[in-house]
This record gives sequence, structure tokens and C-alpha cells, in this order.
Amino acid sequence: MIALIALIKVIVLVLVILGTVAYLVLLERKVSAYMQDRIGPNRVGPKGLFQPFADILKLVLKEMIVPENANGFIHALAPVISITVALAALAVIPFGNYIVVGGQKISLMIAHVNIGVLYILAMSSLGVYGITLSGWASNNKYSLLGGLRSSAQMISYELSLGLSIIGVLMIDRTLQLDKIVQSQGAWLWNIVFQPIGFLVFVTAAFAETNRLPFDLPEAEPELVGGYHTEYSGMRWGLFFLSEYTNMIVSSALIVTLYFGGWSLPYVNYAAMMPNLAALLQVVTFLAKTGIVIFVFMWVRWTLPRFRYDQLMNVGWKIMLPLAILNLLGTGAVMLALK
Amino acid sequence: MGNNGDENRKREMNLWEKLYFPEILHGMGITLRAFFRPKFTRQYPEERWVPPPVFRGRPVLVVEDETGVERCVACGLCARVCPSLAIQVQAAETELDKERYPELFEINMLRCIFCGFCEEVCPEEAIIMSKDYELNFSDPKDAIYGKDRLLTPASHLSDRLAFLKQYR
Amino acid sequence: MAKVTIEGKTVEVENGTTVIRAAAQAGVEIPHFCWHPGLSVAGNCRMCLVEIEKMPKLAIACATQVADGMVVHVNSEKAVEARKAVLEFILINHPLDCPICDEAGECNLQDYTYSHGPGHSALEEAKNKKPKRVPLGPNVVYDAERCIMCSRCIRFMDEIAKEPTLTFVERGDRVYIDTFPGKELNNPYSMNVIDICPVGALTNRDYRFKARVWETSSTEGICTGCSRGCNTNIWVRNNEILRLTPRLNSEVNNYWICDNGRLNSFGHVNSEKRLNTPLVRKDGALQEVGWDEALSSAADALKPFSKDEVAVIGSPYSSVEDNYILQKFAKQVLGTTNIDFLQHSVDGDEDTFLIRADKTPNAYGAREVGVSSSKGTDVKKIFELIGSGKIKALYVMDDDIVTSKETEELLAKLDVLIVNHWVESKTTQLADIVFPSATFAEKYGTYVNFLGRVQLSRPAVSTLEQERVPGRFNMSRLDNFGSAFDKWNKGQRRNVRSSWEIISAVANLLGGKIRFQSAQKVFDEVAQTNPSFKGLSYAKIGAKGAPLSKGPVGKKSKEETLV
Repeated sequence: MIALIALIKVIVLVLVILGTVAYLVLLERKVSAYMQDRIGPNRVGPKGLFQPFADILKLVLKEMIVPENANGFIHALAPVISITVALAALAVIPFGNYIVVGGQKISLMIAHVNIGVLYILAMSSLGVYGITLSGWASNNKYSLLGGLRSSAQMISYELSLGLSIIGVLMIDRTLQLDKIVQSQGAWLWNIVFQPIGFLVFVTAAFAETNRLPFDLPEAEPELVGGYHTEYSGMRWGLFFLSEYTNMIVSSALIVTLYFGGWSLPYVNYAAMMPNLAALLQVVTFLAKTGIVIFVFMWVRWTLPRFRYDQLMNVGWKIMLPLAILNLLGTGAVMLALK
Repeated sequence: MGNNGDENRKREMNLWEKLYFPEILHGMGITLRAFFRPKFTRQYPEERWVPPPVFRGRPVLVVEDETGVERCVACGLCARVCPSLAIQVQAAETELDKERYPELFEINMLRCIFCGFCEEVCPEEAIIMSKDYELNFSDPKDAIYGKDRLLTPASHLSDRLAFLKQYR
Repeated sequence: MAKVTIEGKTVEVENGTTVIRAAAQAGVEIPHFCWHPGLSVAGNCRMCLVEIEKMPKLAIACATQVADGMVVHVNSEKAVEARKAVLEFILINHPLDCPICDEAGECNLQDYTYSHGPGHSALEEAKNKKPKRVPLGPNVVYDAERCIMCSRCIRFMDEIAKEPTLTFVERGDRVYIDTFPGKELNNPYSMNVIDICPVGALTNRDYRFKARVWETSSTEGICTGCSRGCNTNIWVRNNEILRLTPRLNSEVNNYWICDNGRLNSFGHVNSEKRLNTPLVRKDGALQEVGWDEALSSAADALKPFSKDEVAVIGSPYSSVEDNYILQKFAKQVLGTTNIDFLQHSVDGDEDTFLIRADKTPNAYGAREVGVSSSKGTDVKKIFELIGSGKIKALYVMDDDIVTSKETEELLAKLDVLIVNHWVESKTTQLADIVFPSATFAEKYGTYVNFLGRVQLSRPAVSTLEQERVPGRFNMSRLDNFGSAFDKWNKGQRRNVRSSWEIISAVANLLGGKIRFQSAQKVFDEVAQTNPSFKGLSYAKIGAKGAPLSKGPVGKKSKEETLV
């Protein structure tokens, strides 16, 4: 029974996420267009709303080219690793508290594990394998450079990412994401206590998702697309999918860790009907996530790409010390308040 | 470092700017303002742009309205001046008063860069830049425009001819 | 001797030299229209006005003789102003039809208008109307409006062609040039008037409107129309020869060339009957095959015959190199002395100026390298032996030896007939194996004219084997910057090889060792082994040729720098 419920949750989530990603692409194109005084796609369907379907159809119909002398198996495997890991990270995201079906409480997260934060860190570090392997398997110097950059970047920023989260963990004293949400309360969110940690986390999250200003693994002007130079058709589509899934995961994580997850000020969920409360929670959570995703795009179309040495400087000389200072500061304040 | 080696562009940043994050927010403010600005996108196939006479579209050969004879005498100056070697001219003799005419006049529109040198060098004002900017081909051979597609009556080109008279 | 200072440069010239020639020796160019170094002085264009110190007025450089201590200013303000005025007068009635005119690009009037001209006309009156497109003869068209009445053509016909045909008609601004009544400009040298015409008044009917000069490349070549070997420029566009013009060589042809050489000596290069691939007779018909197959079947066909059963016929049309390799092949590989070439003399068709009865460019050279009857069997004897069945295999290089019905029947008796030739001919139709060979315009080769002067011809037309590359070829702008996808580069490049290459390949398949990398290497060996060619090399021959060491030596050249 538990397995069946989990399976249903997985299927629903994966379908919803894939659909969302398709429309996120459209959203991104629209956002970029508006920021550049353009209109963006408006030809397919009313206001261009069916554009994602056209995009997907095109990707499916396109030939998947495998370069000569490439490692065919790893070349095919790499995008699968990327998307699998990206989707797997969603398992511990709490979209809401719980719903009641037939008198049974069903949690609105797939896996109710008590090491949720660690799990997410683990999954996001696995994601680098997809990119690095694709770069290696393509038998192309640009792809290889992209892959190498990606691994170096991930290692550099995972450290600050992990350290910045510890501040949150110290305050909330749990690794479980839904508990973190609950412990933040209605409006005293973690961002109030952890502003520096938040900045470090967001910066690291940008780097982890390979999005501008940290998209050096792709870096079109210098690497002609980086790790996915040699990918086409739906294999390339999978990389695209995983990039946007990663963005959703990161946004959801930011919301969960720093913006109180599903909680809203002046709203007392406990006083409502459980299912109505769950609906409101999910809507709240998605709305908050959506806003963060918009910020992701906003930043992308505002900032230029870092140079590689700048990226490394920021990672090791600014983000890491900041994260450690934040950690020490949090500890000191907690000791003082004790 | 960081200024592409141009010392003139070098500028000391103050602390506020060095903090970086405030400047990011500043930049994001700019893009957000752009977000709500009115858009000027032209819906191309439905709304078409009619270029002003100064526009340099694809080069065409002028045909006199009264006589139906092309102005070109196949002197080959356009072919000589063409920086991308797009023009090929073969002259031949006619019985007309102007003893020479282009037996073959071809412009490879894949090579043409619309610089207008041919128009400028032409001693007969025979090759001029039209307003046609809608060029597409599905075969490289289609891109080689022969006399059949180049010859255009002068009455269709009155804008450009008047422009040339005024400014050249 | 007189010491003259021209534009600050002092030269010592012989007494009686005109100022314009002295200036040329000093390296100073004086603009001129009517004066031509090969013609008498007329002095009617007034374009060569220069300022000479202590002379009261400006003097024309072409008719003024130098005096010791003379100081000449060519580009002084006074002289330039005077020439500007002269030019303006000439341009009063000269039509502004450079776009139509064939001379554009090589027109003296155009050049001087650029350097001296006002750039606009001071007159509002309409220009004179005069006869246009007047056919003066079979090859020359006259445009009276463009004519500046320099009289060069009239003087040429009087002095060089020695057949006064042209004259001025009318007076003043109505003057034009015409033939004498009942006469036609059909002299065998008539087309030289086109070259010497300083404007586009006289044009070439064969070349009219074919191409602009700047589209073509010009290569130093040799006319192969007769044994004079006039020096030419070969004008090529799109890998096609468009015209020949004479090139100054005071040892051979001076500034001139005959109409026949100019018009007809390159016809076979562009011919539609040009052979484009090796042919081998299979099942009674000639079939196109690849080079390797044709070469090996030629070797196989020659193998069974003994040295007395084979004969070789060289060619007075081919270069020294081709004939040298052919005789080497005959003597070293086939071991035969049955070697000769066919004479192509047209008795009576000659004159005392340039045209020679021997219509081949290299009979002297072929004989000189050993393709001759002196040491073996001559052509007549070879034909006899073919008739009697003694000679069963024949190799013919670059020549059509079928001159009559009888020779045609004789050749049919042969077991094997191998032919190198550039066009389809009666001989190639009878042949068992045909190799397409390169013409004079497609290869490096030397030719020895009847005076024993060795002259080098450079390739002007590219073949499949020889890419048009800088250094080897003279290039036009289109050659330099066009791509393989451009139509003007689509001119046919034929699948032909030089005869010496073909013959050495056959020889090597028969066990010979004739290995040369280039025609130049072949000639180096000729120079080493043949005393007549001693001390000669391509570098030494250069553009003007060099005499054989035993050949008659011509007079020393004087005016090579003048145009």
C-alpha cells in the first residue's frame, strides 16, 4: 500500500514536473524577450502557448547524432544520469504537509526520510557525473573542457553550499525538510536569521545549476556549447530537461530552507480543514517557488558570464570564507542567547 | 586586468561597487524596467517594412520605360569593383546605337554583400539598389540571378533614381 | 655622344637621338600618342611637349634631337599645363564611351586623362558625329568618333606593311581615316594597327566585346603559326585563350605579328574536337579509358615487336623537350633508328617580313635533338617499309600524318598505331591507342625558330594535371580570388598531359628509365648532352629567348624598354 502510494506520487510528480519544465522554457523565452524589448514566441497557438509542444516535437523528430569515435554507450548514458539525478532530488521536497484520503494521512513528499538535506546534497553532486561523462564521451575538446569546468565548479561551490546550509540546520536542529518548514513558523523565516547564509546559498545554487552567470560548462562563445556540443535531438533535450528540473529543485530548496516552505504569515493551517489546508499549502509553495524561478531567469538575463578565474576566486576566496564566518557567527549568537 | 588592457577604461571602484551584490540589484532593476517598457516588434509577414530610398536592397538592372532596352552596356566595372566577386558580365554586340549590351549578366546573391559599390561605379546608372530585401533560395543555383530576374523597369525604381539624382 | 639632363637625370646618348628616346633611356616616361618607336616620327599629336632650357618655346620630344648639355623638364609646370591643354583639345570630340569601348583598360588616352586630364568638359556643345562601326577590312573595325588622328595606322601600312591602304579624309574636326577607294584593309599584317592604335578607334573583330582586359591574365608565349616564332602575349580568361597580341622582341618580330598567327595559331587549344581522355580501340571502336589502362596497353602493344618493326614519328609542332624524350624513347627503349618527322612547308606562302613557308614552330629544334632522318630512316622510307609490311608498329607524336588517301591506306596496314595528339584528326581515327596531349599553351616547352633562337613558352591554360597556381601561371583577379564554385572558374580543364610525360611513362613500362620531374629538368639534360644547347637553361632563355650556341647570332637589341 505504501509502495503504491509512493508510486502514484512519483508518477504524478514526474508528469507535472516535465510539463512544468516545458512551460518554463516558454516562460524563459518570454522573460528574456520582454527584458530585451521584444515579444518572444507568439506564433504557435494563442499567444504562443503551444510553443513547448512544437519544441518537443522538433526535438523528438531530430536526428540524434553520435560523433565518430565517441563512446556510444556513455554518450547515451550521460543525459540519462543527468535527468535521473535531477528528478530524484525532488523526492524529499515537501510541497505541503499532508492530505487526508480515507482517514489516512498521506505526506505531500515522496520520501519521508530523516536526512533530506544530505540526500539532496548527495543527488546534486551526482549530477556532475552526467555532465562530465558527456563531455568525455563526446570525443570533442570543447565538450571535454566543458565537462572539466563543470566538475571543478561543482566541487568549489558544493563546499559553500553545504556550509551555508549548516547555519539553517543549527537553528532548526533537523535534517528533515518538512520539519525545517514547520520549525520556521508563519513568518519568522530563516532568511531573517541567516541573511549571509542565504546569499551564499543562492550564489552556490546558481553555480550548481550551471545557469548564468555561472554557465561556464556551456559558455557558447568560447566552448561552442561545452558538454552538449555533440548532442542533438532528444538526448540534448534530456540535458535541457535536467537543467530546468535542477532549477526547480534549487528554487524549491531555497523556498524550503529560507522562505518557510508552504507557510504564510497570518495563516493558521491547523485551524483549517486538512485537505483545504494542504491545497493552500501546495499553492503557496508553488507560488513561492515560481517567484524564485523568475528570479533565476531575471538574473540570467541581467548578468554576464563570469570569467573562469573570477568564478574560482569568488568560490574559494569569498563564498567559502563567508560561509565559514556565517557558521561561526551563528554559533556565537546561539551560544550567547543560550 | 579585467579592462581588456585598455588603461583609459580603468576605473577605481568604490566600496559600494566592490560589494558587488548592490550592483547586481541595480542591474536587475534595469532589466526589470525594460520588462515593462512598450515593445516595438514588427509582426513581419503580416506587417511589411517599406524601406526608404536610401535603403540598399538587392541590385537590379534598369530598363528604360520607353524603349524597353536595358541601360547596361556591359562595361564590367561593377564586376571589377565588386569586393565579393558576385557579378559576372559577358558583353556582346547589338545593332542598336549603343553597340554593346550584356549578353549575360549574373549576380550571385549568395555572394552579394549589398555594399552598393556596383551602383556607385556604374557610369550608366544601369545597376541600382532596389528595395527588395526578401531573398530566399532552396538551391545555391537559384541564388544566381540572371537577366530575367535582374531587369526592372525604371518606373518601378523611381524612388531610388530620384534619390541618386539628388545625392550623387 | 651627347650628355642630356632629363628631369635631373643625366644620360649620355648618341648624337641624333630624339629627346623621347633619350628620356626612355633615362627612365623617364614622356606621354605620347602619335609617336611609336617602330614607326617614323609624325609629330602631330603634340602630347609629348616638354620644356627645354634655352629654347624659347616648348618642344615636342619625339621630333627634337638632343644636343650636348641639353636640360629637359618633362614635368615642369609649364610643360604639364601645355599637355593638359593638348589633352583637352583632343578630348573635345572624343566620345565619353569608355564603358562601351574595348580599349578601356589599355588605352593611352584613358591613362593620360587620368594623369593630366581636367576631369570635366568646358564645352556645352554636342560632340561631333562621325562614322562608327566601319569595317575597314575583314579583321578591323574603325570608329571615327574615337579616333584622335595620330596617323600611326597610316604610317604602319606605309612603312611596315608596305601597302599604303589608309589615309585621312576631310579636314578640320570632320577628319577621319578611311581606305583608299576600292581598297580594303586586308593586308596579312593589318591587325597590328589595332595594337598600335592609342585609343579604341581600331578594334579587333575577332575579339570585339569578348572580354575586358582586366579580366584576363596575360602570359608570355610563342606563336606556333610558323617557324618565325613571334613572341606573343596569350590572353586568357576562364581558362580559355581569347586573343594573342605581339610582344616586343627585336631579335624576332619587333612589335609585330601576322594576322594568321594572331587569329589561327591558338584555335586547336580551344577546339571542340579537342581530345579529353585517353582512347583505346576495343571491338573495333575507340573507347574512353583511364590513363593507367591506356599507358599499359600502349606498352603491351609495343612489346612484341622487334626494333626493326617499329617506327617513331616526332613533331615539329612539339617542344624541344617532347622531341628529345621521343628520340630517347626510340633509341634507348625501342632501339630503333626509324625516326623522323613530317615537314609542313607551304611553298610560296611566305614573305620577306615575318611569314615563313615552314608552318611549324620547332622543325629546327626537332632536328637538333635527333628526331631526323640524318641518322636513320626518313619519313618516306618509313612509309615504304609500312607498305611492304616491314614496319608493323608506329608511334606518332603530336602530328596529323594523314596527308593523302594513300597514307591513310598505308596506316591501316599497321598492326599497332599509337598517337599523341591534341585534337581528333584522321590519324587519331586510325589509331589503336590515342593519348590526349598538351598544347603549347598548356605546358612549359622550348621552341627553336628558323634562326636557331631557343624560345620558352609558358603555360597559360591549366589542365587537370596542372592547377592554376601563382608562380606557375600568370593569374587574373578572378583566378586569384574566385572559388571553385564560381562560374568563371568553370572553364574546362582538360585531361591532357605533355607528350614527354606520356612517352616517358610508356617507356618506363617497357623497362626504360626516363624519369624527369619537369620539362625544365628535361631541358637541363638537353643542354648538358647536346652541344648546340650548351650553356642554355630556362632562366637564361627567359622571356626573350637565346640563340643556340652554333646558331646565327642576331643584332644586339636596343629599344627593349620602349612601348
